[in-house]
Amino acid sequence: MSDAVTATVDARGPKKGIDWFPYVVAILSGIILVVFLAYPIGKTTLYSFVLLDDDLTFGNLTLANFRNFIEVPLYTDALQNSITIAAWTTVATVVLALPAAYAVARIDIPYRTFLLTFSIIPLIAPPFIGAYSWIILFGNQGMIRRYFDILFGIDIPTIYGPFGIVLALSLHYFPFVFLFTQGALAASDPFIEESAHIMGAPRSRIMCSITFPLVIPAIGAGAVLVFVRTLGNFGVPAVLGKEYMVLTTLMVYQVNGYFNLNAASAIALANVALTLIAVFFLARIQRRRRFITVTSTTRAAKRHTGRGAKIAGNAYVWSLFILAVMPQIIVLFYSFAERWAGSLWPQRMGWGNYHHVLTELTEPIFNSIFLAGGATLLAVFFGTLAAYISQRKQFFGKWLLDMTIMLPFIMPGIITGVAFLTTFNTGILILTGTASIIMLAYFVRRLAYIFRAVSAAISQVDNKIDEASTICGAAWGYTMRRVTIPLVAPGMLAGGILVFSTLIIELSITIMVYSADWQTMSVLMFEQLLDDQIEYATATGSIAIILTISLVFAASRLVGKSMADMFR
Amino acid sequence: MPDHVLTLQGLTKVFSTDRGPITAVDKVDFDVRGDEFFTMLGPSGCGKTTTLRMIAGLETSTAGKILFNDEDFTRFSAFRRNIGMVFQSYALFPHMTLFENAAYGLRIRGLDNDLIKKKVAEILALLGLDELAERYPADLSGGQQQRVSIARALVYEPGMLLLDEPLANLDAKLRVDMREEIRRIQKELGIMSIYVTHDQEEAMSVSDRLAVFNLGQLMQAGHPEEVYADPTSLFVADFIGKANFFPAHVTNRDGTGAKVSLNSGQELALSRLVEVRESEKADIVDGYDATLMVRPEHVEIGQPGKGEIDCHVRRIQFLGSFIRYIGKCSDATQEVIVDSPRAVPGIEEGSEASVTIHPADARLFHKGDGS
Repeated sequence: MSDAVTATVDARGPKKGIDWFPYVVAILSGIILVVFLAYPIGKTTLYSFVLLDDDLTFGNLTLANFRNFIEVPLYTDALQNSITIAAWTTVATVVLALPAAYAVARIDIPYRTFLLTFSIIPLIAPPFIGAYSWIILFGNQGMIRRYFDILFGIDIPTIYGPFGIVLALSLHYFPFVFLFTQGALAASDPFIEESAHIMGAPRSRIMCSITFPLVIPAIGAGAVLVFVRTLGNFGVPAVLGKEYMVLTTLMVYQVNGYFNLNAASAIALANVALTLIAVFFLARIQRRRRFITVTSTTRAAKRHTGRGAKIAGNAYVWSLFILAVMPQIIVLFYSFAERWAGSLWPQRMGWGNYHHVLTELTEPIFNSIFLAGGATLLAVFFGTLAAYISQRKQFFGKWLLDMTIMLPFIMPGIITGVAFLTTFNTGILILTGTASIIMLAYFVRRLAYIFRAVSAAISQVDNKIDEASTICGAAWGYTMRRVTIPLVAPGMLAGGILVFSTLIIELSITIMVYSADWQTMSVLMFEQLLDDQIEYATATGSIAIILTISLVFAASRLVGKSMADMFR
Repeated sequence: MPDHVLTLQGLTKVFSTDRGPITAVDKVDFDVRGDEFFTMLGPSGCGKTTTLRMIAGLETSTAGKILFNDEDFTRFSAFRRNIGMVFQSYALFPHMTLFENAAYGLRIRGLDNDLIKKKVAEILALLGLDELAERYPADLSGGQQQRVSIARALVYEPGMLLLDEPLANLDAKLRVDMREEIRRIQKELGIMSIYVTHDQEEAMSVSDRLAVFNLGQLMQAGHPEEVYADPTSLFVADFIGKANFFPAHVTNRDGTGAKVSLNSGQELALSRLVEVRESEKADIVDGYDATLMVRPEHVEIGQPGKGEIDCHVRRIQFLGSFIRYIGKCSDATQEVIVDSPRAVPGIEEGSEASVTIHPADARLFHKGDGS
């Protein structure tokens, strides 16, 4: 009975020799990482130490670009402003989010699942569009300012400046703190609180001495994420800042105004330094407070049942979230206003703006989809391979691979943009003005997202399953194709959709590397805003928001997670 | 079925860790022949699983050789060794039906569809799984999943079958049934099998031969009854079955035998020393302090003063076919265990008693050896 099997076994070629395939794939991935990640970041770092128009030689190294931060008021102010904005935004998001997180976790809130889904809308929507809706309300010609002027004759202050930036960014980013904290509260062990209760502690005491201290790492993670994102945000300070400059707007100013890439690199490095300090701080919090409080128990912690607590909790949570999506609702409303000049209400409503956007501006929309799609495919391919290698192989210098890939994760997008512009503008590989520079910058920026998603998926799959396939006689490629990839496919796909949905509205990188031939939806919106074509900008923005929400929804169905969990 | 021979020669594995190199497997030699059921047994971290993984090719050896039918296997990729393996976690492919799981190895070998169907049907029938072919692993019980993983490992008629603690995740009753089932199928197909477990009862009951590992070293290999009756080290004596240990002073070494005196002053004449490792036998000379080992069924309990060693009976357990007396005794390093086929009159929990050793069944070891 064994003849047939034995014959085919023998026909499978020589038994000796190495399966080269995994090594070839690993080396290829390594080259991609070096050329498009390590090289640009390294070159940008070096560039910041030479002056504009100087060659990159040892003798030309100088700290002049950094001396600006001490000597030039424009730089000093931008640095101070960035820190101020980031610090206030972080404080504001924590203050806004903590009561909401506690209420959602510990008070009966009707339509809770809906609320959690709702909470990611501010995160998905492009922040500069949200910022613009504040101009619609409180700008020079803002709706509410006009109402107050017409109805009561009161001149209320405009939204421009640091207060407006902090307001817009806080409402945009607070869901990070909210989702992290709420998740930690929901997962914490109810028995810990109960044992405190049995020992005689009143609720308020339990909240201060047990509940919140235990979720400090989650709050810290959310807060640091907000700090880092705020530092890297370009759109909001660009729309609301006017003369109030921060590091990101200064960077764009140096590039678009003077094409001074060396100065921009130095600003980028300063920005990264601030980011690293924040990340280091987070690591400290998390190391000092590493508790295991998450439990597999299905029992939820005891909820407040008092009428007063319920009313207060519901009122707070719902008003906060309605306020947070208000910018998007205003954008949506404005997108239907065909004519609205100097009156309380639009003169004409209809689909005209959409008609205009979809017929005359199809190219930027197509460009966005093409560039984001290509970058997503690249990121899924290399992100998956890198995640596989990092999770499943032991080799020297593995930490270097992990660190290189995760670098853009903590680096603001605009810095990736500067790095690509600096690196591929001259030298061996000139990509400036092409589609590939945008696509590759997107790819590098989002690689870490796929890497993380797929790493998590792979760590869920028992290594023994791969080994079982090997033992059955499958070479590495066959095992990958038939076993490993099919098992992590949902994670890859969900990660891919999420990346795609964030890339079609990407502004920070795009503003640096785009060219006239490759205008994207986000750049188009931004220019429409600057040109005061608000009705078109809002229509484009609405399309982008709805497209993004649908994609995230599809991704969440695919992995069977709630939409809120996709962001935790 | 050809008469396969697997030979391990000085197989060694050194893992480099942050705290320096750790020798997980230290110069292991053994061979397995034909349709033998060979078990590697030992406490966790003893190197048995690492040895199995080196045979499978999932771990590369640091030194030594693995020969299969005189062909050097050592540097073959795992997927080219034509081995079947069953994992503790079953490691079934969760996205494939039971049929596709079982057919996997045949598809890799490029068999045509009709032959695959026939062979999978045969193996599923052998394991009593024919009804479940279209189910997914998640819909199967633990025992059924284990059968599927055995079917998957056997269907392509591998040169040998490796089993890595395959029963550890099953409940006690099923574990006993499955081990008999595995042995039945193994003998029916006549396939060489190498089994890893830390459960000595399991190893004793299913193996043709077993090998006891400790700290990366192969301590002893042989038939189960031989390893039990004639352990060559204190470690094996202690690990396999129950044992009593007494300090003993050699008073009269004589050829293959020796006279020893116990702490109580009683003298015992031992007829054989052959079980002690050859290299250590020479050390056992007059005046040497050694350890005497004797199995619970080779000691008797009786009234105080009757036997060699006095003890205080702490606990009496009725274990069905025999009665176990557990006593505390000033002369022994551990508790003294006496298994008696019937209750001894006058001995109760809390009473004083004495123990008689059968010299013919007692063994002499180096003090502190192997532990």
